[in-house]
Amino acid sequence: MKYEVVIGLEVHVELLTRCKLFCSCPNSFVPEPNVNTCPICLGFPGTLPQMSSEALQQALIAAVALNCEVALYSYFDRKNYFYPDMPKGYQISQYFVPLGSNGHLMIKDDRGENNKVVIERVHMEEDAGKLIHAPGSGASGSTSMVDYNRAGVPLIEIVTGPDLRSPLEARRYLEKLKSVMQYTRVSDCKMEEGSLRCDANVSLRLSGSQPYGTKTELKNMNSFRAVEKSLEHEIKRQAATLERGDNVITQTLRWDENTQETIVMRGKLEAQDYRCFADPELAPIKLKAEEVEKAREALPEMAEARAQRFINDYKLPEYDAGVLTASRSLADYFESCLKLYNNPKEVSNWVMGEICAHLNNAGLDAGQCPFQPEDMAELLKMIDDDLINGKIAKEVLEKAFLSGKSPRQVVEEENLVQISDHSELEAIVNQVIKDNPDSIESYRGGKTRALGFLVGQVMKATGGKANPQLVNELLIKKIDG
Amino acid sequence: MELRKTTVHRVAEAVLQGEITAHQLIDITLKNCGVLNEGLNIFTAVAGVDASEQARAVDQKIKQGKKLPLAGIPVVVKDDLCYGVLPTSLGSSAFSEFISPVTATAVERLMDAGAVVIGKTNLDDMGQGSTTLSSPRGATANPWQAERTAGSAGAAAVATGICMLAVESDSGGALRQGASHCGVAGLRPTTGRVSRYGLNAHCSSFARVGVTAFSCENISGVLDIISGFDERDAATAVCRDGIQENIKAPGSEDITIGYPVTVFDFLEPELREVFEQARDEFAGHGYKIKEIELGLLREGLQAYYVIALAEASSSHARFDGIRFGKTGAADNLHNMYFQSRAEILGQEARRRSIFGTFLLGKGNYGRYYRQASKIWQMVRWEFEGALKDCDLLMLPTSKNLPRPLQGQSSFLDQWSDDLFCAPVSLSGLPALTIPAGQIEQHPVGMQLVGPPFSEKTLLNVGSASEHKN
Repeated sequence: MKYEVVIGLEVHVELLTRCKLFCSCPNSFVPEPNVNTCPICLGFPGTLPQMSSEALQQALIAAVALNCEVALYSYFDRKNYFYPDMPKGYQISQYFVPLGSNGHLMIKDDRGENNKVVIERVHMEEDAGKLIHAPGSGASGSTSMVDYNRAGVPLIEIVTGPDLRSPLEARRYLEKLKSVMQYTRVSDCKMEEGSLRCDANVSLRLSGSQPYGTKTELKNMNSFRAVEKSLEHEIKRQAATLERGDNVITQTLRWDENTQETIVMRGKLEAQDYRCFADPELAPIKLKAEEVEKAREALPEMAEARAQRFINDYKLPEYDAGVLTASRSLADYFESCLKLYNNPKEVSNWVMGEICAHLNNAGLDAGQCPFQPEDMAELLKMIDDDLINGKIAKEVLEKAFLSGKSPRQVVEEENLVQISDHSELEAIVNQVIKDNPDSIESYRGGKTRALGFLVGQVMKATGGKANPQLVNELLIKKIDG
Repeated sequence: MELRKTTVHRVAEAVLQGEITAHQLIDITLKNCGVLNEGLNIFTAVAGVDASEQARAVDQKIKQGKKLPLAGIPVVVKDDLCYGVLPTSLGSSAFSEFISPVTATAVERLMDAGAVVIGKTNLDDMGQGSTTLSSPRGATANPWQAERTAGSAGAAAVATGICMLAVESDSGGALRQGASHCGVAGLRPTTGRVSRYGLNAHCSSFARVGVTAFSCENISGVLDIISGFDERDAATAVCRDGIQENIKAPGSEDITIGYPVTVFDFLEPELREVFEQARDEFAGHGYKIKEIELGLLREGLQAYYVIALAEASSSHARFDGIRFGKTGAADNLHNMYFQSRAEILGQEARRRSIFGTFLLGKGNYGRYYRQASKIWQMVRWEFEGALKDCDLLMLPTSKNLPRPLQGQSSFLDQWSDDLFCAPVSLSGLPALTIPAGQIEQHPVGMQLVGPPFSEKTLLNVGSASEHKN
């Protein structure tokens, strides 16, 4: 390509904490507006912010997980601008000294090579509220309302260097970032719910040239896919502009999901002057080198390392390892099951198949799975003990998952124990042979598929509870005499 | 009972012993209130029924055997400090009916100790000033000379005997200048000693909550009550493990008072004379006097205003008409801001907000704010240095007699009145103002400034000088 693409991302991540950043209001989603509010997060006169140590701890974990240098002395600044969703008329953020700087994440580039994406800064800040626009009786025919539930929720902003070279790389970076944030339990990173938000800066330069081209900023992307799409769109637009001999103008564009286009929001002249200065109401953030080291040491094993270990230690296929480590809670679930039932491939099949499907249907995370690892071990042991067959096991799992009962309880209550009793099965087999003379004929004529039909008939007659192996043996014995 | 001639301790004892009930005491106080306030314009709100109820509650607690150290003591509270029962006007006409959802920690602690809030006192536009001249309700007159300002309405309330204590804010010197102009004592405490929670500070870097009273002894009586760690104000973390008082032995021979010679060149001859006399009296009482230099007062004053204006432009940004105060009618967001802020902020507050916005703007931050921050640090070092050789410093409180109610004084003139107070605010050190003498029957105060947490030494020295005068 004639042009080289240069992309940098600014990602806001909502921290998982009990409380907001500067008050004790819960940091949780509630549909009813302005419920999670207090005089502090509403910016009432006379109130002062109270720094949450929990949020600081989460931000610290994020910074070390992103391989940052951590500032042992940092502080909060005020970023001043008027907007109704900003209760104090300023946002408390870290402008001058970010908590973390000079970090990196490794991703695979378009050719599958490792690309080190520099993370310039990780800083803490508070979220704003939300504006709700409703048609109504206002002078201009509409009413705007503010919901401050989100105002003061702790965020970290993660800013990369201009290190990404394609929309695909941008997407891979976001996926990697999300995985790290989820593995460290810093954030749930649900882009659809706004707990991860991404702005992108993009510019083009002639391949091989040094200076960066003029960049534009993209906002309002609601999914990783939208980030990729909007970048692709914007790259085409910039390339076309340059091809016409025009200059790219510094501006902020908004991605329109409906039209799949970028729309100009504001130009350079309208750029805000945030008048940042140190917030005089908060004490500086002082960390000890030991605290930072402790946080580094306490980092969990991340997805890639864990997948590799699953391949090495459990001899799982790469595909299985990838699926199982996609989320930390799923990987934890898998390993908890293994502790109780040591057959990695067997457990992997059940977790990737049945468990993931049921979790998906129920909209649950693996950490909330009602079918506990103990239940999984019990279920698999019942199969081993010929108490149930694989087909019934799936049914048992579903019933146990939905009811919260143990698999054994389900099997007993529903009388699902496999029929392995010779005489009992023999009677049924005899009946089936008697009822299907045509099939016996075909089988004898060499059509072995007919046997499958007969087995099926026996299973049907027993409600699926017959031991399929035993049925097979009995049928062959009877027919072949 | 004449409140000016007794002490907080004695009055509280009388109430605890049942010589008078808190309710009776507050009744008398409220009755006096009207008479004594006449023509002075001290109050933005008088507690009335609420004060009687508070007093009854105090009597009830005493009956239950509670030893309340401030039983029945009438206090007033400057109206930038929130008290959730009375309106908190913040110095804005748009907030005259605003009931705050919070109560300032200092007020809460006084009330827990048995004090009764009898009213909220007048203040400058959004609490910005040391004269009350910019108050939307008009200035508070000085009880000594009604054609001049009181400086602070709380000091006027104390001086007239309406109340025994005034809880007030002090950023650039409002509390201290008010006390000085009204001939009473006022304490601006060490940074972090008294919680600022509930104070609508226009400049949190320098705003402190202090006390004004008729005597140093009365201030001593409440300092411990309002001091100490409060999780709602991060600055009080210095008191988390208790307050490490910095007390100097009471003997005057052991105390060296720094006398900044150069400073007194700024004063009119008659004011200068008052301070020379005060110095000589200290010397006469056995204190060692050491001449020192304080060379950064003017720069300190300028730095104070750069930072205070910058912070005000940000701190007052919350007054957008959306959540509290009056909302201006408008058909779009910009006009709504415009209308609401025009109603909430008066001329002085608007001026400060606009200046502050400029000072922090692109290209100006480095030139003004950062420079001011450096001077702030230098002033701190200068005071620290001066206190290496002395136990405390004496400084004038105000450069002038209080401003006349009528007649023009420019805002710059008024700002420059903080010449001796604002640099002390930068230092973060405690400052006590006590009466130093009089000019033409008008009281003049002086500041005693000590190292961090030396309030008790300052109060002891101040108290001794009151008794000897």
